Amino acid sequence: MNLLREVLPDFSWWRSFDAKRETIAGITGALLVIPQAITFAYLAGVAPEYGLYCAIFVGFLASFFGNSPMVGGPNTAVAILLGVSVLPFAGRGSPLYTEFVLVLSLMVGVIQLLIWLLRGAAVFRYFSPAAITGIKAGVGVWLITSALEGALGLSPLSAQFFYEKFYTAMFAWNDLVNPYAAATSVVTIVAGVLLKRSWPRSYILGAVLIGSLVGAVIYGLFGPVRSQLELLGHVALQPLPLNLPQLGPQHWLFMEQVVPQAVAIAVLGLAQSLVIVRDLETTTARHLDLHKEVFAQGIANALSPFFSTFAGSGSFNRTSVAVEMGAHTPLAGMIAACAVVLLAWVSGPLLTWLPMPVIAGVMVLVGIGMIQSNEIRPLRNRADGAVFLITLLSVMFLGLEVGILVAVLASVGFFVYWASEVNLFISRDGDEERIAVSGNLFYASLDRLAKHLRSEPTAHTVLDLSRVPYCDAAAQDMIDKVQIERTRHGGQLKIAPKG
Amino acid sequence: MRLTSWKSKFVTFVGFVVLLGCTAAFARPSIEELKGRAVLDDYEANVVFGYNIITQTNRYAGRYAGNGLNCTNCHMQAGTRPDAFPLNVAGVYPKWRAKNGVRNGIGLRIRDCFLYSLNGIMPPEESAEVQAVAAYINYLSEGEVIGRPPKGAGVPSLPDTGADPNPPRGQVVYKRECAICHGAEGEGQGPVPPVWGLNSYNGGAGLNNVQRLAGFVWANMPMGKERSLTHQEALDVAAFLHLQHRPLDPREGRLMKLAERIYQSLFRKAGVSEPVTASPGPAAK
Repeated sequence: MNLLREVLPDFSWWRSFDAKRETIAGITGALLVIPQAITFAYLAGVAPEYGLYCAIFVGFLASFFGNSPMVGGPNTAVAILLGVSVLPFAGRGSPLYTEFVLVLSLMVGVIQLLIWLLRGAAVFRYFSPAAITGIKAGVGVWLITSALEGALGLSPLSAQFFYEKFYTAMFAWNDLVNPYAAATSVVTIVAGVLLKRSWPRSYILGAVLIGSLVGAVIYGLFGPVRSQLELLGHVALQPLPLNLPQLGPQHWLFMEQVVPQAVAIAVLGLAQSLVIVRDLETTTARHLDLHKEVFAQGIANALSPFFSTFAGSGSFNRTSVAVEMGAHTPLAGMIAACAVVLLAWVSGPLLTWLPMPVIAGVMVLVGIGMIQSNEIRPLRNRADGAVFLITLLSVMFLGLEVGILVAVLASVGFFVYWASEVNLFISRDGDEERIAVSGNLFYASLDRLAKHLRSEPTAHTVLDLSRVPYCDAAAQDMIDKVQIERTRHGGQLKIAPKG
Repeated sequence: MRLTSWKSKFVTFVGFVVLLGCTAAFARPSIEELKGRAVLDDYEANVVFGYNIITQTNRYAGRYAGNGLNCTNCHMQAGTRPDAFPLNVAGVYPKWRAKNGVRNGIGLRIRDCFLYSLNGIMPPEESAEVQAVAAYINYLSEGEVIGRPPKGAGVPSLPDTGADPNPPRGQVVYKRECAICHGAEGEGQGPVPPVWGLNSYNGGAGLNNVQRLAGFVWANMPMGKERSLTHQEALDVAAFLHLQHRPLDPREGRLMKLAERIYQSLFRKAGVSEPVTASPGPAAK
């Protein structure tokens, strides 16, 4: 019954919504998502129309089945991971590669549905905000470095570590860098950074416009042969791109080999979405059903290959803009998806002339946005800071999949470390020693107390356990043993009566 | 002695049979055969994708193609026909070309085709489309001698006829022989390519050259009656076509070219007949 309620779309918001504000929020979201969708399709290694389909169909389905104003659709980290996971199996951008991306998206969706059936939403509470910030910052660094190729017109160096890219770009400047491409992307980035101050919500749009203008001027003055300026090319949008995912023997072999990656993408997508939803719960003051959101993400991603697109997840930046513009219900996401159809259809012919260095510039801007100091600064706390740094470094150097695992381990690890901290307040009353214990007493946190109790077998001690919420069998056992030992040596260990 | 001779004959025979068997087994599989297979490795899948691009350029490489032509309109029979720019030329690249003044790898050569003959956008060297066409060219080049142009490469160069090409007479020939398929305005129809106008190749294309076009027309046109035109008629019709309006050479009049392209993409939807389907993969028959 509960499951059925989560499966059926929930229109309880229908009675109370502000149509005007939701529409404005939706249309703003649609404007923002178009450059991002194209960029993320490039990251995933598929044709740009797939990114737009993701914004349209995955975005719509996620809002339709969900119950929050979260804006879904193409997501940086998910797109990067899809690309990285499929790259070893097929040539980037080839038909086989595209099929593999779609099959992998199907797997991601099915895994997310499984997580929903297993009531997995609770698990995502263990992702500490510090870990999520770390993952975001790591993805941001990654985004900036992978933009380097496109921004400078470098020949592809994708097999190299990110720091090697900087090295190569610096030392082979004259031979490798295309000045026309570099100029276009630098203008885009500078415009974006400047516009962000006065126009913090949709600065990327302005940057794209300015960058495209500069690109068009360069293209017009120097021509395609001399400038070698890469253009996006024709975006062939279909109104309803229905598609049946190919499942030949090749695809099954592929699926077998990418299960770990699929799990990592599913977990990362859900983690981001649920962090957003929990955040929204405080800002919109509505009760949001996390399980329902998990189902919405799962079904949207599982259906994505049937609309010829790839998996997505909730988007931090687009959601925050939508909420700022006054979105309170899932209607904003649905309006955004519909507006993308209109906008892409209108601007489609001009998108053909969008220079790729501008898209690289957008990647850098999105990357900079992900490494936000206002989220990192509150992490002064030692444990949080450590989780953040560990996550960031492992995402940067070990890759996203490993990074996610490290993030979970680090957040859980620090939580356990914190939980196993036991404070002993020792006071002396004549011969009698009184120890007030506060904290959980269990196998991992016993050491200090046991060491203290065993150091003086002849002492008389009263243990005050009134501030111990949890005491496991190992602790019980230890106390019993110390009591026996004390009695043998003439000492005494008493448990203070409660109250 | 007789026995040895019989034995050696037998060995020769067996060897011959084995050789035949090997040739049959290792012969290049046809595209149809590749398409029928359940599992293709990356190279084979790429070859099939390349073949699809050559035969249905606007469908499979619509992202970069900019007019109504398909590769196979000039590289006839999917690049297998001699004297119609056959594509079994992998062995002669890289080579220096006067056209762009640099040494061209096969990738740059293919990208040039997109820019000029297809009047489109130059795809990046590492794009899936360029890689696929390169793989298909390799596939076709099996058995050719590396470094030597294959038989029937390019188009035949016609001998000197002693008379200048004459466009008005070419127009007469066009109306008599070509217009029935290519249209009175050269617009083409269905699988017949447009031969001038904004939907045809641009001023920088290889065929925008009277001598070369004449050779192509003489050797391959009109379809079914190839080599029926005289050399002079072929030259005349080539001169007539050369004078017609077509997209600008992207190397000249660049701002004009940009304006032309934006006009084209806004109002004419040049040649993009069919959108890319989601899964034009090897399994798609």
